[in-house]
Amino acid sequence: MFRMILFTQWKWSRLTLLPLVVAAFALPLLSVQGAGNPQTTPWEARQLLNALQSWGVGYPVLATMIALFMAMTAWSADHRGRHVYALSLPIPRWHYALQRFGAGALLLGAVVIALWLGALFAAGTASIPAGLHAYPTALAVRFALALFLAYAVFFAITAGTTRTAGYVLAIIGGIIVVQVLLEAAGVHVSLIPFIGDRLILWPGPLEIFSGRWMLIDV
Amino acid sequence: MSHAVEIRDLHYRAGKNFEIRELGLRVPTGSLYGFLGPNGSGKTTTIRLMLGLLRPLRGTITVLGASVPRDIPRILARTGYVPEQPHLYTSLTVDEALRFHAVFYPTWDGTWANELVGHFQLDRGRRLSQLSKGEMGKLEMLLALAQRPELLVLDEPTDGLDPVVRRDVLAALLDYVSQQNATVFISSHLVHELERICDWVGVMDRGRLVAELPMQSFKNGIKRLRVANPPALPGDTPFVVLAREAGNGASETWTVRGWQAPMSQYFEGVGASLREVIDLDLEEGFVELLRTFREPRS
Repeated sequence: MFRMILFTQWKWSRLTLLPLVVAAFALPLLSVQGAGNPQTTPWEARQLLNALQSWGVGYPVLATMIALFMAMTAWSADHRGRHVYALSLPIPRWHYALQRFGAGALLLGAVVIALWLGALFAAGTASIPAGLHAYPTALAVRFALALFLAYAVFFAITAGTTRTAGYVLAIIGGIIVVQVLLEAAGVHVSLIPFIGDRLILWPGPLEIFSGRWMLIDV
Repeated sequence: MSHAVEIRDLHYRAGKNFEIRELGLRVPTGSLYGFLGPNGSGKTTTIRLMLGLLRPLRGTITVLGASVPRDIPRILARTGYVPEQPHLYTSLTVDEALRFHAVFYPTWDGTWANELVGHFQLDRGRRLSQLSKGEMGKLEMLLALAQRPELLVLDEPTDGLDPVVRRDVLAALLDYVSQQNATVFISSHLVHELERICDWVGVMDRGRLVAELPMQSFKNGIKRLRVANPPALPGDTPFVVLAREAGNGASETWTVRGWQAPMSQYFEGVGASLREVIDLDLEEGFVELLRTFREPRS
């Protein structure tokens, strides 16, 4: 049963997933382009770290994009048929949803492996200045955690009805409207940054997306 | 008599304009039950409630001896369902759709499925999105039949299909029923189609069950009578007068329900004479029944 669900997920996502796997493999390689000389000065090493940090933004962005895409493909066929097919299959709904989730998560494993291999290859081929170290596995683990977290969030949202998606959008829209109204009334309360900080700064649930995503660091 | 489907006091509301009220329905085991009703009468909603796709406000539903929604996976494993709109994953090919469907049903008959693919002349390598409406209808029926279900729930299975495809689909259905003694619950607004194949009929209108009886009783019970010198007021009739229409001279045409031949004595008692008893086909009976339901007469 799981094999067939995995097959459908593969069929629906393969055309977009393959370029994303390539991107995950290429990102670490691109990020170490500046690391050419092991005899670099501390100033040049710092420049390298800055460059790596710039590339580091790409990891959470890539994780979010891939997770969103995979979650959407997991449910798009069911949405088109108003979930009638899935609901008429003789398995409990939670079981079907779990298998759909598992199939997507398994395919995401390919992206993580590609990134890990890319990071290992990049770390192995780049000349790393003295005092700096490569962390390919740590980077891949962090990418995996961010990817699966984003996938779980998007999967839960896309599994719902249009009404559910509407509620989520209405909450986000409501927060923006309240912020605008507060500003207009001369009340300087930074609502959006406040909520954003609670989400992405420790111990917020999305903390993993923030901070430094470094393949090479001190 | 055991029942494959039994619904009691079912209530369901969808928005402000539609509700199912006090629905009670019993489908005898092994019967071919035709579920009739105009568009929007609640047939599809009732089916979805029966199969656990919707949750009722109250009431009990028992299908194949098991309770909905508690035992729904067990019920669905023994039930073949053809919905009103095609519901399969259209990016799959016919072969992939068969393989996908098969893994969920322990009673799946692969050999018969292959035979039906040949019989229905379906191209295994073709994507579902490229199938014609008729081919999709055949595939939906194929999937439902190859499960070897004890109960088939078919929601307008031949709606929009051309006569040739319709005949093929119904022939496959009847063939299966004759072999398996399965129960079939088939909803349709194509009255003539049900008249030919069903032995029980339930009529739904505006969210309520208007009638439920053997097909033969339904067909025989509604008659059109030509009456000469009819009384101005029918009085206490042994049958239900559904409609009265003036004819030529001093004659009228009455449409009645619950008619039996000995009731002709009533006319002698009121000074009228019964000239002719005309059989109505199911469609006419269906229309008259709905007319009475919507405009009750005393």
